[in-house]
Amino acid sequence: MERNNWIETILNSTNGLTPVVPSDNLFSKIQAQIKNKNKVSEKIIWLVAASVAVLVVLNCSVLSSKTKKNKTSTTTYFENELNKSNQLYQ
Amino acid sequence: MTQNQFHFEKLYREYKTVVFNVALNYLQNIEDAEEITQDVFVKVYNSLESFNGKSSHKTWIYRITINQCLDCIKQKNSQKRFFIFGKKSQNENEYLNTATFEHPGILMENKEDAAILFEVINTLTENQKTAFLLSKLDGLSNPEISDIMQLSISSVESLIFRAKVSLQDKLSQRFNNHRKKK
Repeated sequence: MERNNWIETILNSTNGLTPVVPSDNLFSKIQAQIKNKNKVSEKIIWLVAASVAVLVVLNCSVLSSKTKKNKTSTTTYFENELNKSNQLYQ
Repeated sequence: MTQNQFHFEKLYREYKTVVFNVALNYLQNIEDAEEITQDVFVKVYNSLESFNGKSSHKTWIYRITINQCLDCIKQKNSQKRFFIFGKKSQNENEYLNTATFEHPGILMENKEDAAILFEVINTLTENQKTAFLLSKLDGLSNPEISDIMQLSISSVESLIFRAKVSLQDKLSQRFNNHRKKK
């Protein structure tokens, strides 16, 4: 009996619960958090754009140096072939 | 003021107390409840344009709040270590039951008993705790809870029933300790 009464008392301890109103300055904190998040996301966008630009430049320079090497090796090949016989036409 | 901003402020005025009290019931701590309320309304602001209207604003905001509360509890528990090389606590609600109990909405004369009740509520499973809190403390109906939790009404009824049975059992065990102390 005592056990049940005690349990009942504990279960009913939230009776008369009143809603708590949050503090008035909470809205301004929310506004500040929204503004900060917008600033942070702009930084991220710039960072991503800069990274992409660096990657593009790197790829272009690698491609360009490969193309130069190919041209150089083709020219060298023809020079070697000409030098063997010293004749343009066989 | 843009229409979006106007709409957001209206939602804030309408639901700030609901959100704050749901968070308070979950975390029993004013500072955490304020932090959750801030995070919830920042999410509401950022998601307002994409809100599809399939549910009511109330249901939507309740869902965001509950998810924020559950994430907060998980995050704080994962940060809590008792010593550097210690294992992560096996009790998901370790953080809640070691933090100071703080709920200004409870009547002064009931605070001690309420602290015991919330300690036991914190040991329920996530779904049982959610269903029980929304039913008992927020006074929501089972259809409303089923909308928020996206479960059937019978599942909600079952959760509330099992929560009550579990609370009775756990309080019964606590009674033995309570008696020994006396």
